[in-house]
Amino acid sequence: MPSTTSSNVDAVRNWLLAKHPERESIAPDEDLIAARFVDSLSFVEFVLTIEEASGVEIDREAIDLADFRTLSAIQKKFF
Amino acid sequence: MIGELISKDDRFQEILERLNRKSVEDYYNPYRMFDWPESLPENRWWMSPQLTTTYGTDVAAELDQEQLYRLSRCESINFYSLNVDGIRELIVEVTRRIHTRGFEIPSEFFHHFIGEENEHMWFFAEFCLRYGKKLYRQMEPAGDGDSWPEAASFLVFVRILLFEELVDHFNSTMAADEQLHDTIRAVNRIHHQDESRHIAFGRELVSLLFEDLKSKATEEQLLQIQEYVKRYLNYSFESLFNPQVYRDAGIPEPFAVRRRLLASPRSAEFQQQVFRKPLNFLIKTGILQDRDLMPAERGAA
Repeated sequence: MPSTTSSNVDAVRNWLLAKHPERESIAPDEDLIAARFVDSLSFVEFVLTIEEASGVEIDREAIDLADFRTLSAIQKKFF
Repeated sequence: MIGELISKDDRFQEILERLNRKSVEDYYNPYRMFDWPESLPENRWWMSPQLTTTYGTDVAAELDQEQLYRLSRCESINFYSLNVDGIRELIVEVTRRIHTRGFEIPSEFFHHFIGEENEHMWFFAEFCLRYGKKLYRQMEPAGDGDSWPEAASFLVFVRILLFEELVDHFNSTMAADEQLHDTIRAVNRIHHQDESRHIAFGRELVSLLFEDLKSKATEEQLLQIQEYVKRYLNYSFESLFNPQVYRDAGIPEPFAVRRRLLASPRSAEFQQQVFRKPLNFLIKTGILQDRDLMPAERGAA
């Protein structure tokens, strides 16, 4: 079940789960980087997925990793 | 220890000496090297059509000639911008290693390398700012947790080499393409000339670093390296498909277009063309066992 109020952040969650079929769910506060959902080589795709789902253009020069660490941080910042 | 391997390798040292000599003999002033006309004609290709990301796809068939030219302008600015950001990483990493333990012998070459890369970065940025009025900034790679310190130098130099090989495929094609303006051809030709030395060096150093790593790594670690190198080849290839470029070229639904292009059979073929030479190298050295690069999710998109 979606654990956030926005359906848009679900697009980000679904993208992460599709890349990690061994996982069935992601808690809103789970650290996506520590859990290796995202690493340096998938970070660009991850940001593009957030941009497309949120409609927000993300400034490449002002990326604060804290905004991307958890689904709840992503929702708060971009949705 | 890599320093020991290098000091025992006469062939590597002879190659280094030759490359150092070539760097001195071929030295040029990049700031006086190019004609920079006020503007470049818009009703022409700025990038060889076969190097544009829509070439041979349904997306290209939906665009008229003027849109294709516009897309080639934006894609060329994206390509030179990738160079600017790629060179930043490369200069930082080589600077970290120059005159440090293990890299005593190649340090002389590192001086040429850093100097030449600084100049390349200047003329690529100059092209973007003069004719595109912008640089497409890439995202700084983020999110690597606990890395494997013994493999750090190998991973840095293999990334540098593969990035240079990708760029060189574009440079050598565009330098020879008579459809392109002289300034575009010259920028690509000069870069290709310098990069042939850097690639020759990179292949030798990466081979040695891999030999060193192999002697200490487990089978599982070697498999992880293979996976990383393949993922890097995908990552760098996919950076050519930039939604900001499609938006600037006036193509609707840029994210969907990017997905469509990456999923098209043409993109797999294009990627194999771009990486033909480095794949030969990676297989010859045993870093990779096969040429299969297409990630499952790209084909399924």
